[in-house]
Amino acid sequence: MTPRFKRAWRRAVRKGESLRSRARRSSRGVSPENIVWIFGTGRSGSTWLGSMMGGLDGCAMWNEPLVGNLFGNFHYFRVGGRKQGRQYILGEPYKETWLGPMRDLILAGAAARFPGVIGGGYLIIKEPNGSIGAPLLMEALPESRMIFLIRDPRDVVASSMDARSEGSWLSERREAQRRTSKPDRNPNVYVRMRANSYVQQIEKTWQAYRAHGGRKVMVRYEDLRADTLKTMKRIYSALEIPVEEAELARSVEKNAWENIPEEEKGEGRKRRKAKPGGWREDLTARQVEIVEDITAPLLNEFYPHTATTRGAL
Amino acid sequence: MIRDAWRKVRSRGMPPAGEETGSMLPENLIWVFGTARTGSSWLSAIMGEIGGYSRWHEPLVGHLFGNLYYERAGHRSEDEHFILGGRYRYLWLDTLRRFVLDSAAARFPEVAAKEEGYLIIKEPQGSMGAPLLMEALPESRMILLVRDPRDVVASNLDAHKKGTWTADLMRKGGKEKPPSLAESRPDAFVRGQARRYVRDVGNAKKAYDAHRGLKVLVRYEDLRANTLESMKRIYSALEIPVEEAELARSVEKNAWENIPAEQKGEGKFHRKAKPGGWREDLTPEQAEIVEGVAGSLLRELYPVRSTA
Repeated sequence: MTPRFKRAWRRAVRKGESLRSRARRSSRGVSPENIVWIFGTGRSGSTWLGSMMGGLDGCAMWNEPLVGNLFGNFHYFRVGGRKQGRQYILGEPYKETWLGPMRDLILAGAAARFPGVIGGGYLIIKEPNGSIGAPLLMEALPESRMIFLIRDPRDVVASSMDARSEGSWLSERREAQRRTSKPDRNPNVYVRMRANSYVQQIEKTWQAYRAHGGRKVMVRYEDLRADTLKTMKRIYSALEIPVEEAELARSVEKNAWENIPEEEKGEGRKRRKAKPGGWREDLTARQVEIVEDITAPLLNEFYPHTATTRGAL
Repeated sequence: MIRDAWRKVRSRGMPPAGEETGSMLPENLIWVFGTARTGSSWLSAIMGEIGGYSRWHEPLVGHLFGNLYYERAGHRSEDEHFILGGRYRYLWLDTLRRFVLDSAAARFPEVAAKEEGYLIIKEPQGSMGAPLLMEALPESRMILLVRDPRDVVASNLDAHKKGTWTADLMRKGGKEKPPSLAESRPDAFVRGQARRYVRDVGNAKKAYDAHRGLKVLVRYEDLRANTLESMKRIYSALEIPVEEAELARSVEKNAWENIPAEQKGEGKFHRKAKPGGWREDLTPEQAEIVEGVAGSLLRELYPVRSTA
């Protein structure tokens, strides 16, 4: 065989395998419209919300794939002015060459991990720490549904500080990674850093939410805590997902704060206090000021009636 | 013959590329890994000048996947929910493969259209992800370009001082370069750069060792000492035919001596191109820092060199 013939043969083999593979994927995959994304930021109740939704019959929860982090962190915060160029792999002029593989990565990953939702069930993708890539993900999967889950930034920061304090549930991993200034070492620096990451994540979620033409809903953690069943019914209604009220009520009850054993709750644990406004007990006055100064535009947008230490926003 | 048969088996065993890959053949990709300031622009310019070749300048795809996989989410590699988790490696390696081939075909149709065209992918700053890229594209060819870490760090130290070419580059992108540790805490900067060298070159070396396809390891110092001979060795190892006269012309055109004097020197992209120049650039303490951090790689890649 000549080299030219060998190459042509190899190409034909690959093409045939490729077409067969894509046909398999499209006929046995998870429907993109049956994917529900939960974006926002960490420590905003996304595990709780995801558990209530993923626990329903025929549904499942994909717990933080970090696919949004994979693409968004790099694209929005690391490459600077190269986005418009010809060379950069996620360059804007070549969007169609990378949105397709991004979409396939998610759909193929979903089908492989959650075969139970193939054929009509819903897959809840809890992705608060990948929210930085929400605009890219929703563009790649415009048929998907989206939940924008938001919580008062002061409570988010207070909860994060507790989670990363010495001896708490997240501190060991962070220690192993040798990253993130520990709240114990320099609390105000940590508060500033976490407030900044809140702004990055919520702004990108908001950007995706505004641009998304499909079904979507914005939920405040505080409303979910105040009347969980009513808020859940609103979510399902906005997302146009049929749900039996009795089944939903059972899931709400099963995942209720009050039903978590006492020994699994409290400071240093993943489930801490679930108390909107608890930041007043957790943060110093200076820390509150730091958070409010950094997140002022978002507080103003999403919590317009909240009182701040500097008065009106 | 055996190598050809092996490549055939590898390419059939690999998850297939998507139909969007067009005609870009993975075996026609030549990756240049290492780290920044090792002469990869020079090497890829020499190769890119030759007829039938195109050059992809730092797509950063290795950084995109490598940074999350090895650094930010390294602790989750065995978590099956993680998008780059070990259990579903075949799935995301397939995506990575398509990412590269689709993107390459869209950007360089002139290479994709030719059976004998080659694409040089200069990816020193994506070297962290080299093991993933070479696993996803086992038919591709690979150049591991290394340079003495002390010279690499010295070059970076110069590049990140005030008013240098890196500041000009940022200004072109609409940003002002923030104050650098290279000015305020040079020893800390040196340590950081040495760690970066270990991360990049260390992972590129792992990819090189694991890669079963065509590959070659090149020392910047050898390339400087006898460029044409080193280039001929590269083409021979990669089994790519090249006309010696054309190669010689490209070597000559891109020679250090032919760069205008006003484009060379401290603070410029083309600085001094002098192996061992670190003795003039680093303090003894800084040289010791680099040797302490990158000692293992230094001994492996430069076994006969002396230390500070």
